[in-house]
Amino acid sequence: MSKLSLSLRVNGEPYELEVEPHRTLLEVVRDDLRLAGAKEGCGTGDCGACSMIVDGRLVTSCLLLAVEADGADVVTIEGLARDGKLHPIQQAFLDQGAVQCGFCTPGMILAAKCLLDQNPHPSEEEVRHAIAGNLCRCTGYTKIVQAIAAAAEGPA
Amino acid sequence: MPEYRAVGRPTPRVEGVGKVTGRTVYTADMDLPGMLHAKLLRSPHAHARIRHIDTARAAALEGVEAVVTAANLPPLGLDPKRAASIRTYCLLAAEEAVFAGQPVAAVVARDLATAEEAADLIEVEYEELPAVLDPLEAMQEDAPLVRTESRGGGGAEGKAAEDRPTNIASQMRFTRGDLEQGFAEADLVVERTYRTPVVHQGYLEPHSTVVDYDAASGEVTVYTATQGQFYVRDEIARILQLPQTKVRVVGLELGGGFGGKTFLYQGLCAVLAFIVRRPVKLVLTRSEDLTSATPAPQAVFDLKTGMKRDGTITALQARAVYDGGAFPGAMMAIGCIMLGGYYRCPNLEIQGFEVLTNKVSVGAYRAPAVPSATFAIDSQMDIMARELGLDPLEVRLRNAVQEGDLLPGDRPYPRIGLRQCLEQVRDSALWRQRDQMEREVGPRCRGVGVAAGGWLGGLQPAAASVSLNGDGTINVLVGANDITGTNTSFAQITAEELAVPVSHVHVTTGDTSTAPFAGMTGGSKTLFTLGLAVKAAAEQAQRQILDTAAQRLEVSVEDLECADGVVRARSDPEKSITFGRLASITTGFGAAFPPVLGRGAIAARKQAPGFSVQAAEVEVDSETGQVRVLRYVTAQDVGFAVNPLSVEGQMEGATVQGIGMGLCEEMVYDDQGRLLNPGLLDYRMPTAADVPNIESLIVEVPSEDGPYGARGVGEPPVTPGSAAIANAVHDAIGVRITEIPITPERILRAMGKVKD
Repeated sequence: MSKLSLSLRVNGEPYELEVEPHRTLLEVVRDDLRLAGAKEGCGTGDCGACSMIVDGRLVTSCLLLAVEADGADVVTIEGLARDGKLHPIQQAFLDQGAVQCGFCTPGMILAAKCLLDQNPHPSEEEVRHAIAGNLCRCTGYTKIVQAIAAAAEGPA
Repeated sequence: MPEYRAVGRPTPRVEGVGKVTGRTVYTADMDLPGMLHAKLLRSPHAHARIRHIDTARAAALEGVEAVVTAANLPPLGLDPKRAASIRTYCLLAAEEAVFAGQPVAAVVARDLATAEEAADLIEVEYEELPAVLDPLEAMQEDAPLVRTESRGGGGAEGKAAEDRPTNIASQMRFTRGDLEQGFAEADLVVERTYRTPVVHQGYLEPHSTVVDYDAASGEVTVYTATQGQFYVRDEIARILQLPQTKVRVVGLELGGGFGGKTFLYQGLCAVLAFIVRRPVKLVLTRSEDLTSATPAPQAVFDLKTGMKRDGTITALQARAVYDGGAFPGAMMAIGCIMLGGYYRCPNLEIQGFEVLTNKVSVGAYRAPAVPSATFAIDSQMDIMARELGLDPLEVRLRNAVQEGDLLPGDRPYPRIGLRQCLEQVRDSALWRQRDQMEREVGPRCRGVGVAAGGWLGGLQPAAASVSLNGDGTINVLVGANDITGTNTSFAQITAEELAVPVSHVHVTTGDTSTAPFAGMTGGSKTLFTLGLAVKAAAEQAQRQILDTAAQRLEVSVEDLECADGVVRARSDPEKSITFGRLASITTGFGAAFPPVLGRGAIAARKQAPGFSVQAAEVEVDSETGQVRVLRYVTAQDVGFAVNPLSVEGQMEGATVQGIGMGLCEEMVYDDQGRLLNPGLLDYRMPTAADVPNIESLIVEVPSEDGPYGARGVGEPPVTPGSAAIANAVHDAIGVRITEIPITPERILRAMGKVKD
């Protein structure tokens, strides 16, 4: 199959790739860039485990063809911690017990980041709405909502 | 209560950093050199004879390494008779497919896209056979058989098999007292039928396995998402007829299990790797996982109960029918026990049946068989209380079991905390304020409901080791796959016993070649059993540390105390030695003392049943039938909360799963036995926008045998949710829903607003 060229910035790093047109952003990031933090939970955009931030918007990367992200600026979970220091949202998820099996966690944290970038002091309802596209089966969401609230209040 | 320094304190999960940074490796993230990818072709029919399979076109596709059907499986250590009745031994359907989604053929190829393309090229000629899908129909004598050549074996009570073939896989009965007299003494007798659907565990990580087979050494290495790596090892060794020394199972971090991930496709994946002699990866799609993993059984309960005017239960008669799907696995016994296990009842008869149908075979899901039974009995309790004009919570308190009361089967309960949980909920703001809330706002009606549930707790032997590192830190080695934060609790237990900070302890889950044995992580038993083994290992390590220190410092062991990694003589605090120094004198070249290695091994002991009582405040829109959960409180007797943060996490997560069962989750099959909602848009699990914050009330009635009095935590809080919701809905709109999930359609039908 003929390949198309693709330029991406992922977590600030530029990449020049050649990819088959049918491959999703999730596949390319996981298999070619070897950034495996984004997970495939459903492959149909229903669970949010593959969430990435593309040009400032939260997307389910299993539904986005990689070539559609040509020229985009992509943030994955691997791009949050800096110099070995956790992002405040990551720290809050740990401290508040918002992490259980961890499979939804990368997508959930990115959903939280996307929310707080746009709305630094969300209400509980706004938090719940913002993460409603990210399923979590372990926590029942209570501690996730608390963690996002703590990250919003805490020192950034 | 004793003062603890490490246990009993909220402690973030020890493996959490890898999870928040995305570095944790799950099975689907594995990529081995030379690895191939497998894809399964599945039966589209619920019941069909397989006349012919043509694999020629698939095998000819470039990049395909093997196309495997039942006909070309290598010789395996499987008795064909047993294989027909055990799902995991029936690797690929042979003559007959017995549920839609059953694997019929497997392709192994260089990449997944090629494997998928090849699977599409396999031609299977089916002859459709009559399928039976409803468990009550399947019980009938003239029902079509789920498989033509087999019999369920449970046609006659207490007998292994009878000559006449049947779809009844097994049946059981508990009796006590005199049922007729019990109903005669009652002022109220209520008869109802309750129905619950097939529901899925809903773990976010689909089933995944990578198997590496090294033909030269004959060694198999299995990387897989499992709750029971030793069980996987035993089964793969059996199937491949290998000694267990040749099978190493590495249970990787698990993206959720809830009972659904023990041993399912690992055997097939191992056989495929054995055939192609290269690593093979098998990851199910979400659709495959919903269609053909092992969800929880559909069930039907017929209940007849008697109660005196004062709220005392006089009699319980119940028939529980669990639908096993195409292979047995419903674990109905515990469902039948809990049906009569929450409330004292002098006269009872509980009959249980597991019936086979041509649907996907079922398995464990958090408190297997119990949430559905609890929906039945705790809806029934509510009906009786309300008909007698009694407070539903007080009626439960009047009848709630306590120490010495009998379970069905007449074993007595040990010390338990069901009553204390009821009292906690009774005293909660949600329950106390229920008469003050505004009950109707326009078409929206509010109500509050309560329900109780529980789980007896699993038991299995377990072992662990605790060792001292060169710098005085501590390593703990266990063999249980951590799904609920148990490794964090083990670190706390070790830190407690050795008087060191939790941060000085590292817990490793070893693989089956390195770790001491632990049973499956299930039944809410890991902390309860393995936690005791860790505690014993830490205690033994402590004795070794003190013995060595006593010799070194030339004081008596009794004179020594440990704190923060230093052993000190009470009589002379100048005489001290650090754990680091102790490590040197027990490990260094020519060291005079043996290394510190504590070992703990425990046998199964007495169960420590745990109970959960929950209250829901709901708002029902009487025009749309939509139910919203506004407030929710969940109380649970956990014995002792070793890690309150994890305990709350279990309570909150299980509670929301229970709410999902009550309101939205149902696997829907068409009249051909095909799943109509094989995706997470239509198999609807609660989102963050669907539920409120869950208020957790931790109750601590110490168990007799658990570490520090702990009980199993994971399962009890999933059991009462659907009944609490149903009871709250009734309180809101005065309509009783006896079939879950309580969808808008069912509400409007029950209100007479929608007709057939």
